[in-house]
Order: sequence, then C-alpha cells, then structure tokens
Amino acid sequence: MATMHVEVVSAERAVLSLEAAELYARGVEGQIGILPGHQPSLIALDVGPVKVVGADGTVELVAVHNGLLFVDAEKGCIVLADLAEPASEIDVRRARAAVAEVEQRLASDPHDEVLLQSLRKHRVRLEVAEQAGTGTPAR
Amino acid sequence: MAGSGQIRQLRRRIRSVRSTQKITRAMEMIAASRILKAQRRVLAARPYAEQIRDVIAGLAVDNEVRQHPLLRAREARDVAIVVCTSDRGLAGAYNANVLKVAERTIRDEEAAGRTVHLYVVGRKGAAYFAYRGRRAERAWDGISDTPTIDGASGVAQAVMDRFSSEEFDRVWLVYTDFRSSLVQAPVRMELLPVKPAEFEGGTAMRPEVVFEPSGPGLIDLLIPRYVEAKVLHALLESAASEHASRQRAMKSATENASDVAASLSRVMNQARQDQITTEISEIVGGAEALSSAV
Repeated sequence: MATMHVEVVSAERAVLSLEAAELYARGVEGQIGILPGHQPSLIALDVGPVKVVGADGTVELVAVHNGLLFVDAEKGCIVLADLAEPASEIDVRRARAAVAEVEQRLASDPHDEVLLQSLRKHRVRLEVAEQAGTGTPAR
Repeated sequence: MAGSGQIRQLRRRIRSVRSTQKITRAMEMIAASRILKAQRRVLAARPYAEQIRDVIAGLAVDNEVRQHPLLRAREARDVAIVVCTSDRGLAGAYNANVLKVAERTIRDEEAAGRTVHLYVVGRKGAAYFAYRGRRAERAWDGISDTPTIDGASGVAQAVMDRFSSEEFDRVWLVYTDFRSSLVQAPVRMELLPVKPAEFEGGTAMRPEVVFEPSGPGLIDLLIPRYVEAKVLHALLESAASEHASRQRAMKSATENASDVAASLSRVMNQARQDQITTEISEIVGGAEALSSAV
C-alpha cells in the first residue's frame, strides 16, 4: 500500500510525524481528503479536526486552528498550524468547561467576534476529544 | 555577662542567613531545570517558523509580497516599541538590561521627532514604566514565563492591527536573546514592516500546484502567522534568558549566604571563647580572693 509522510507542526512544536495512508481536513473552501500521490497543493485550513489514518490503520485526530496544508511530491504532507492539539492531549472535561464558559460569556454579548472565534476553536477541541475518547471515527 | 547576649544575637543572624540560603538554593535549582525546558521550547518552535518562511518565500517568487500592508515601508512618524520583561524579580540584571535597551530605543526615536507608543510584556516592565510616568498602551502579564502561541498572537495582533491601519509606521521588538546559559544579550529587532528581503531566495512553486485560496490570498493569511511566530520566538528566547539569569543570580546569592554565615560563625566563636575566658578568670579571681581572705 502506498503511503505518504505526514507532519503536523504547530507554532510551539512538532506534533505528529508519521507514515500515513489517508488524511482528511476541513479547508476554507471545503472538505478535502488527501491520498498518497495527491497533486501538489497549498490549502488554507479552517478551524477543524484533521484526521490522519496511519499506514497501520491507526487514526490520529488533531484539532487545528489557523492551519495550512502543504502537499508536496517529495516532502509529503505538512500541516502548519498556530495551534494543533492531538486528541490524546485534550482533556474532555476541561474542554467542555471551556466551551461552557465561552458560551456563557457570549450570552451577554452575542456579537463579539473574538468570542465567536474562540467558541469555534473550543468546540472543535471538544469534538476531537470526544470522538477519540469514545472510539467513534471522525466521519 | 555581656557576652551571652551578643552570642544569642549572632546565632539568630546565622540561622536567618542559612534559611535564606535554603530558599536561594531551591530557586537556583528550579531555574536551572527550567532553562533546559525553555531551551527545548525554543528549538521546538523553530520548524514552524522555518516552514512558514519557506512557503511564503516560495509564493513570493510568483506573487508580489511588497504590497502587503505589513511589508509596506513608509516614513516613520509613529513608532511602537514592544518590550519583553519578566513577571517576577530576583533574576539579577535581566529586566534592567532589557529595559536599558528599551529606554535607548525610546530616546533615539524621540530624538528623531517620532511619537513612541509603548507595549509591555511582563509585570516588571509595566511597573518600571508606570513608575517613570510613561503609560504603556497595553501591558500583558502571565505570558512571559511560559510563552504560548495564544499569548504571542495576542501581542502580535495588537501591533499588526495598528500597523495595517497606518497608526504605526514602525514596530520595534525589544527582548533578550539567549546565546548560552552564560550569555544573554538584550536586543532590538524591527518587527514591522517586515522586510521583503526575508522572503527572498525561495524556489518557485511548480505550476501544477493547486492553491486554495489563490496565491495572494494565501500570502495574506501567512504573513501575519509569520509575524506571530517571530513574536513567539522572542518571548521564548526571553523566557529562557530569564531562567538563566535567575539561576546565576540565585547561585551567587547562595554563595554569598555561605560567606556571610561563615564569617558570622567566626565572630560568634570568638565571642564564645572570650566569654569562657572571662568566666574562668572570674572564677580564679574569686577563688583567690576567698583564699587570701582566710
């Protein structure tokens, strides 16, 4: 089976580096899936989960914020993101609390752009953590 | 007996010096372990900054980056200075050194007739400028100890917004560069405008590459990321320097405490011996007086 090298790099550190068979992400212009041998591309990512299916079938979920997906024939797939958190590092309970807190603050000011952004970010984190926690696949 | 009071006092001082020494030694060890951690974070953040730069450089071959609002150089009238200091003290000359560079930058800019806007990271810097009656437009605390991208992008966003809207014409970033555990140098770096030369030397993207959104759209997204990565880098370097500086300061404090305790013990032993000598001669004198009285 053909594989490709996938790297997920956040602003703070390299998060993932593995051989993968498939990669799915949410681009700003729509959902995308990448298989080995994909056409070279540069795709801006929306706030959302990135799902990487490893060569051995293991699934890695990463919550990504402000990301960029770079597909290159030689270098493989590189996900560059401000924030990239693997599901295993997100605490479901704390993520839920963070969502609740932002929602509460939003209730008093429903049009605050910064809060809306932050709500989306926290929701994605929660989504990623919950899916990984219960063992259901991302999609 | 005059001696015993003095001895008691000395003993108390020795005890207090030794307990201070315990604290400084603990702080030294904590700082030492955190230098390594901070250094590792500096290294860990490097791949992202390099990749972002490479991608922008690649895009810059076929697209015009010079026109991006964050790269536009213009005659400077309003200058912003971002100073990275620590939240906590007891770090030797760490804050004083970086503030000296900040002061010099402010002086230079004001001498050239420009208005200076101040942004301060770290409680120490904020207190320094507040005391001198210079109001910081914004001050952040709680991010300088273990810098995160959230903290860095907050700082970067604040100055980028006002640079794009042409309220500022230049932004300086003043921080401490961690060269080694022994050498940390305060430096200033021109954060904005970003110099187009930084994106030179890229290899052009191959024609079959798909862009989503189109090339210029991607550049607009990426350049702010690049600036944020630079701010994060400065904060991480500063944090590593802070810990190194604190480790050195606490090491010499611990050594000084040993010296003080040693010299106090010497004085105390002398006083004790004097007291014993006095007592013996009093007893001998007393006995002699008794025997001669018989």
